Amino acid sequence: MTGATREVRLAQFERMLRMRRFEEMVIRLAQKHEYIGRQHLHIGHEATGSAVAMAMQPGDKIHTTHRNHGYVIATGADPGRAFAEILGRNDGLNGGKGGSWHLCDVSTGMLSTSAMVGGSIALATGAAYGLKLQGAKNISFAHFGDGTLDEGVCYEALNLASLFELPVLFVCENNSKAGQRPSSMLAAARLRDIPQALQIENMIVDGADADAARVMFAQAAERVRSTGKPVFVECTLERWPGSHQVTAAFPTGVTDLALAFEQEKISGKHAEWIKSSDPILRATRAFVESGTATRDELAALDARVTTLMEDARAFAEASPFPEPAAAFSGVFA
Amino acid sequence: MPQMNLAEALIDGLIWSLRKDPKATIIGRGMAGHGPEHHAEDRLKAEFASRMVDPPTSEAAVAQLGVGAAMTGMRPFVHYGTAVFAYEAWNQFVNEAANVHYMSNGQIKAPVTFHLFHGIRGGGGPQHSGSPYAMYANNPGLEIVMPSGPRDAKGLIRAAMASDNPTIVMQHALLLGLTEEVPEEDYMIPLGKAEVKRQGKDVSVIACSRSVVDAMEAATELAKEGIDVEVVDIRSIAPLDVDTIVASVRKTGRMVAADETYEICGVASELIATVSIHAWSALKAAPVRVARPMTPVPFSPPLEKAVTPGVSKIADACRKACGR
Repeated sequence: MTGATREVRLAQFERMLRMRRFEEMVIRLAQKHEYIGRQHLHIGHEATGSAVAMAMQPGDKIHTTHRNHGYVIATGADPGRAFAEILGRNDGLNGGKGGSWHLCDVSTGMLSTSAMVGGSIALATGAAYGLKLQGAKNISFAHFGDGTLDEGVCYEALNLASLFELPVLFVCENNSKAGQRPSSMLAAARLRDIPQALQIENMIVDGADADAARVMFAQAAERVRSTGKPVFVECTLERWPGSHQVTAAFPTGVTDLALAFEQEKISGKHAEWIKSSDPILRATRAFVESGTATRDELAALDARVTTLMEDARAFAEASPFPEPAAAFSGVFA
Repeated sequence: MPQMNLAEALIDGLIWSLRKDPKATIIGRGMAGHGPEHHAEDRLKAEFASRMVDPPTSEAAVAQLGVGAAMTGMRPFVHYGTAVFAYEAWNQFVNEAANVHYMSNGQIKAPVTFHLFHGIRGGGGPQHSGSPYAMYANNPGLEIVMPSGPRDAKGLIRAAMASDNPTIVMQHALLLGLTEEVPEEDYMIPLGKAEVKRQGKDVSVIACSRSVVDAMEAATELAKEGIDVEVVDIRSIAPLDVDTIVASVRKTGRMVAADETYEICGVASELIATVSIHAWSALKAAPVRVARPMTPVPFSPPLEKAVTPGVSKIADACRKACGR
């Protein structure tokens, strides 16, 4: 279908499963520990996040929003240290000083996750400027949602990126839902009209289609690398019904790969999302229908990932809280 | 030793920064101001045009251009013509740059320098006379320096550019023409080191930026009345050199805090709090505050003068502290 090898597609699927099982564990941790901060979950966006991570090369940089867990895991951070951070523990990626909102791991190129709407898009533009000044071959990625485009700083950043020809790939996850209070309130008829007006090359992809997203981001990243100019990719997504920052719940149930083939078992008010919008189940179906992998193989992979997350959780829960004195260190470099 | 005005000295400091560090880069134009001293920038453009960029009027994104580039290892110097323009970049200064090192647990540094012209400057009116460094000082993670003269401006800019932290250099717009001897060679003045600009035994004026210049003039005037004034230039509010400040007040027993930020939660208030905590028993009289009163800065010259801390107000404050 895409010319990609089986290994590449399976590698993406494993990243997607890691992202999903990680965040399902976050929900459980939130339920068990009552309060661990707010959860801005990335569930439903795994095809996009994994595709972006796979388009990154060593030395590339990424800035994300606070809906960052998926990217942290997809770019290769240790899940145990990520859980530990979410629980505010000493072994957390940020030593307990950032929490869920600010997970970052410099070793994977994830420079920061700004929890200020509009933060990532301008910081990533600045990172692209830094890379360009240093003559690096690397590029910068900016992850944000459609709601970010409500913020004025985005227009300044897009303008700067275009004007200065900066190597930045804008990843816009658009899960705005007509009929509900939308996540963005934009007068533009199409999101892509915004970069278009600023002379930024733009593309659109089904953000829940793993193959399509992977191919699109590989192309878009290559385009940024070869031209040194920005590219804007809009990823269309159906918002996951559990995407609520305070309530940690499983409105669509714990992911069950078997449901990819047993659609008659899917019911309830979120059945449509499970049937057609869950990127994990869509990828599972595509694998089996194309004969790329068997159900048993995928189930075995899922079991390995689930065990990995169990071990990571155990590591995090065993990690002590930081000493209070740590609150006062690191204000300055 | 050559004579330089402050504009020339700060440009000299920038030139040394760019010569010494290939990662240093400049975002913005007009850092020598738009007055008679603006030609000072010509030297910089002649030597480093390729390392300067003139950005659009986008204060917020320009701040992030600097912060983001700093996070990849560059050392950007970002210039805002007037300090109040940076209100548009409030979030970027205090919530992004200031926090990134702490909240990443030291994984990431943001060695960016923001350079702002502040102060009551003659005709600035309510919207162009701001001195926001007390507001910035209310945010941990930022280094904030306020040079009072050419020699300090050069050395502090070099130190700001070499610092691994986000640093705000607040330059008083009316001091650009101030001239003194400035070493030609490269040097740095460490951030967080106050300097006693004038030794005295009767009263300590703890000041920064333009108020130091005013305090020096007041001291000359008061000497004729037999009041021997010590002038301490804090040079930076973050970090704050508590030891030098406290030592001065312990010596004189009297304190005037003089500064152009507002009276309420301003730098002068912080200095008085610091001395009250650390040298209460050494005080022979209540500290006196000379600061910007809680009113917008009006345009009309006599009205502007009424709200400006200056030589006569500082002199009066010293007399009051000394019981005259």
